[in-house]
Amino acid sequence: MTLLQACEWLGHSSIGTAIRTSKWDFALIEMVHLLALALFGGTLLVSALQSFGVIFKGSPPGAIARDLRNAQLASLLAMIVSGILLFADGPLRYYGNAAFRVKLLLIAAAVLTGLVNRSRGEARFATLVSATLWLGAGIAGRVIGVL
Amino acid sequence: MTFVQLACQWLADTTIGTRIRESDNLFSAIETVHVLGITLVAGTIAIVDLRILGILLKRQSVRAVLQPLVKIAWLGFAVMASSGLLLFWSEADKLYSNPAFRLKMIWLLLAGANQWIFHRTHESLMAAWSAPGTVPWRARLAAILSLLLWSGIIVLGRAIAYW
Repeated sequence: MTLLQACEWLGHSSIGTAIRTSKWDFALIEMVHLLALALFGGTLLVSALQSFGVIFKGSPPGAIARDLRNAQLASLLAMIVSGILLFADGPLRYYGNAAFRVKLLLIAAAVLTGLVNRSRGEARFATLVSATLWLGAGIAGRVIGVL
Repeated sequence: MTFVQLACQWLADTTIGTRIRESDNLFSAIETVHVLGITLVAGTIAIVDLRILGILLKRQSVRAVLQPLVKIAWLGFAVMASSGLLLFWSEADKLYSNPAFRLKMIWLLLAGANQWIFHRTHESLMAAWSAPGTVPWRARLAAILSLLLWSGIIVLGRAIAYW
């Protein structure tokens, strides 16, 4: 099965059809996506600022990132699940959307950087790279709707 | 037409309002900044609320979390408010009668009032809130209200475009 065929299958699946034919499903899922984004962005920024010693100067570097990790992972999971559901609304529409493709690549790179960073004890440079990639993913997400 | 409605109409007709509205990408670009700003505000405030409720950052005292994060939230608020003003500028005439927009403004005022009352009531007592179970129920209630109000602001903000 090619990627394009997988998109067609998802679009015709019962979930895809249900979201597409409902009046409010897409809007509601989009709101969940945005709420999760807010919490994710907050934890990301606070963790990054602490790694750079801007806030929580009394705690060892990376301590706040560790304490916020569960909230960050939970909000990331909520974004991924809601994001897949939004995608299922019209997979073929997004399949050819350049901003969507860029966004997925940026997310993959950001997650990868985050995982490497975690195993190496929250290095500053990797934190900065990861935060920049997430910012890019956010901007690409907005561009999806413009293209 | 009421005075406010006339003012909104005038605002949308100004050069700046028209430029933003008629540009290909300006509105979307400002909107992106607006969403990033609201992420800063709501994200940091949510972390403070979740600390007050004893869910996040339990090893830090409430005050240790609140003080730096409120500063970031204000920074985000400045970004959100200035970009929001530009967005409003370009569509003031339409937004005037948009129910989601009206409700969002009320929600913003309520969130502000909630925060103001919280500060007035608890600021001097907050130093004692570090061990679990030391946060009074009124402060917890304010945290729950804050989470609900800011979530509402995000949801209503998105809903504006559906009207």
